[in-house]
Amino acid sequence: MAAPGTDVVQLDALGARGPYQTRNRLTVTDVAGRERAELSLVPSLFVDRTIKALRGADTPAPDERIGMINRAAELFATATLNGLTPDAYTHLVSRVGGTPLSVVRATVTAIAARLRRAHHSVDQARPTGAVHRWNDPLTRTGRAVWVPRGDVFAVHAAGNHPGPHSLWPEALALGYRVVVRPSRREPFTPHRLITALRTAGFGDDHVALLPTDHTTADALLQGADLGLVYGGEDVVRAYAADPTVLPQGPGRSKVLLTRDVDWRDHLDTIVDSVSGHGGTGCVNTTAVFVEGDPAPLCAALAERLAAVPSLPPEDPAAVFPVQSLATAKALEAHLLHRASGTRPWLGGEGVLGELGDGSAVLRAAVHQLDSPHSPQAAVEMPFPCVWVAPWSRDAGVVPLRDSLVLTAITHDDSLVSELVEEPSISNVYVGDHPTYWMESGLPHDGYLAEFLMRCKTVIRD
Amino acid sequence: MPRATTEILDLPLDVRPEPDDLIRAAMQWHFGAETGSPFWLERAKNLPFDPLTDIKTHDDLTLFPNVAAELRDVPAQDLIPRGYGPSPDIVGVFESGGTTGAPKRVVLLRDWLDRMLHWSNLNLDAHGFPRGTDWLGIVPTGPHIVGEYFRRSAATYGRHGFTLDLDPRWVKKLIAAGDRAAAGAYAEHLIDQAAFVLRTQDIGVLTVTPPLLERIAHRDDLVDLVNKKVRAIRWGGTQLDPDSRHLYKTDIFPDTVLCGNYGSTMILGFGGERPGLPDDAGCVFDPYSPYVTFVVVDPQTLRPVGYGERGRVLVHHVSKSFFLPSNLERDVATRIEPLPGQAGDAVADITPVETFENEAVIEGVY
Repeated sequence: MAAPGTDVVQLDALGARGPYQTRNRLTVTDVAGRERAELSLVPSLFVDRTIKALRGADTPAPDERIGMINRAAELFATATLNGLTPDAYTHLVSRVGGTPLSVVRATVTAIAARLRRAHHSVDQARPTGAVHRWNDPLTRTGRAVWVPRGDVFAVHAAGNHPGPHSLWPEALALGYRVVVRPSRREPFTPHRLITALRTAGFGDDHVALLPTDHTTADALLQGADLGLVYGGEDVVRAYAADPTVLPQGPGRSKVLLTRDVDWRDHLDTIVDSVSGHGGTGCVNTTAVFVEGDPAPLCAALAERLAAVPSLPPEDPAAVFPVQSLATAKALEAHLLHRASGTRPWLGGEGVLGELGDGSAVLRAAVHQLDSPHSPQAAVEMPFPCVWVAPWSRDAGVVPLRDSLVLTAITHDDSLVSELVEEPSISNVYVGDHPTYWMESGLPHDGYLAEFLMRCKTVIRD
Repeated sequence: MPRATTEILDLPLDVRPEPDDLIRAAMQWHFGAETGSPFWLERAKNLPFDPLTDIKTHDDLTLFPNVAAELRDVPAQDLIPRGYGPSPDIVGVFESGGTTGAPKRVVLLRDWLDRMLHWSNLNLDAHGFPRGTDWLGIVPTGPHIVGEYFRRSAATYGRHGFTLDLDPRWVKKLIAAGDRAAAGAYAEHLIDQAAFVLRTQDIGVLTVTPPLLERIAHRDDLVDLVNKKVRAIRWGGTQLDPDSRHLYKTDIFPDTVLCGNYGSTMILGFGGERPGLPDDAGCVFDPYSPYVTFVVVDPQTLRPVGYGERGRVLVHHVSKSFFLPSNLERDVATRIEPLPGQAGDAVADITPVETFENEAVIEGVY
């Protein structure tokens, strides 16, 4: 292996009969426009045949699956796979996706840790009344048995961050066969993870990587029994009525500070929630609601975030995400358009930190809203961009709805009760917990297994 | 009308005219007051040149404006050259797909049909199609000329041609409305009907569009039937990407001949796949030159792009029965060197005019 980043990496499709190089290949470039990989794009005919082969494949026994996932975790974190050392791989993810290198490295560790606990994680979702096997002695007098809702699970992966790839291997643990369509912005992580799973013992006809162009993407969901799709509000709308697809839409995570706490004691948590992990995640904070005057908090946030240097993503000290200049300019233009009528504290004149090689850092933006109901509070951007709004008891829960994570920094237990009961808030963190906090075995947007499994009654003589 | 003119337009089926000879004869015919169609005689009044004297070579055809859109409104009767006399031998009136607005109409005359079939059957020979077998066509019928060519090909090259109703306009409407489920149900309905024929009849040749071939490949029982009975598959109507082509030829239907057509209603026919291409390449299509010719052009300048470069496909049809020059198709292709003696270009790797994907979804993190 040459020094990281000097070769163009071949990313084959990983079909049911092994790696498959197509004639139709997509050039994957880094944030400066330099060619870094060639991704084989398969036609729908290949998708159809692969899913058929997966459907016909035998499933190894549960403990064997868990063992293979464990071995894959080790390989994913430490082995040379597809010619890439862990360092070469993390460097590529960083250069192509624009994610800060330290974030990529931490995520690799986190993915491996989560895979090692996949069995624990999925079992947390099992209803307490249900057993795993039909021949559990409890079924002799009648018992719920926890079983998969289908055979093949398809994933339209996200490209914003490698982290979400720690989720779908749970489907393998549960006995599904899995096909993953990678994002063109970050095909490296699923390619590496699936290569690791195969090296660890999963058959080629058990877990597959099927890169496709946009128009062929739907073939995966058509062919599979169940699907997971990451996307924006359009994706959520498109699949809202489809019970076989679980859309993962906007996060719109939020922080709430009530009058009985002093924001100064929690500034680290707020800054971290906005910009931690590169600020590109659905669990990064989009809006902060303050009971009282938001201006002092805005000033403090702006001061802290303004001090972060603009660095290329592969710099170990990089904090903010990087994109190609064209993409970054489009994002900036969109931000400036949406921000009109708000009070800018940081990034009001623009957020770009040009790096001179055709790429640009997307620096943080802090804007103050004059009402908790301002529409901007729902504008989620793929970089550290926070809207700070005043909040009052009169406004109540309404502006806090539609949140993947809500960190409530408050001593008001009745308010916490209301937030926990609100159906459109997925997770509630009370006190000093950044919105991106996650733990294996705890639901992220519900348990994935809630979607993949069902209970059926078995009774026998 | 000099005798030589009609002779060149009426050459025996196995003799092809020199391209420029054909053009000059066709100008005399289509723009001669006694022989031209009412449509062209009227249209010629608004041309900035005189076709009778100013159009001498194949290259000169690009001087003509693209009048294809006018075929949406013109009475079909006005398209028939007067030189055919009071009772021309008409096979039928056919319409374009209707992808963009109202359909365009053309008139298919017997002498051109015979000529086109003669050439197309020679191409089937070159690909090793079996003669004398029954054919199944899963292709648009009704006003679509492809259905007519299917019947006539089956009757002249094979034995019986089995058809079904296929209305591509309804499918396009369903897809445009985002109703994928209904579009899929219609496609499955077509395959169900085809399955009855495949199971019970001695089908040696299957003519089909690539999306419907893919639905056949999805059903294991039909794949087995095709592999057992069908010795050649002729595809057309939409494009088959090189990776799918390779899968069919090496994996799914390894012992079946696979041969593509690239055609359009406006050329009253189609180009055929060049025989002998490798399994892992894209398809190259040669037209029935000099009657039908392709030029791969820059859509802005209408000048040819270089060999190996991509451009829009400009088509010309020049025969005794019909004249339609400079029609810019909606397809993009790679320009390929023609076979020796052929006018214009061969084309490869055809795709619809590029539509832009949602490049960067601005809001949201994914």
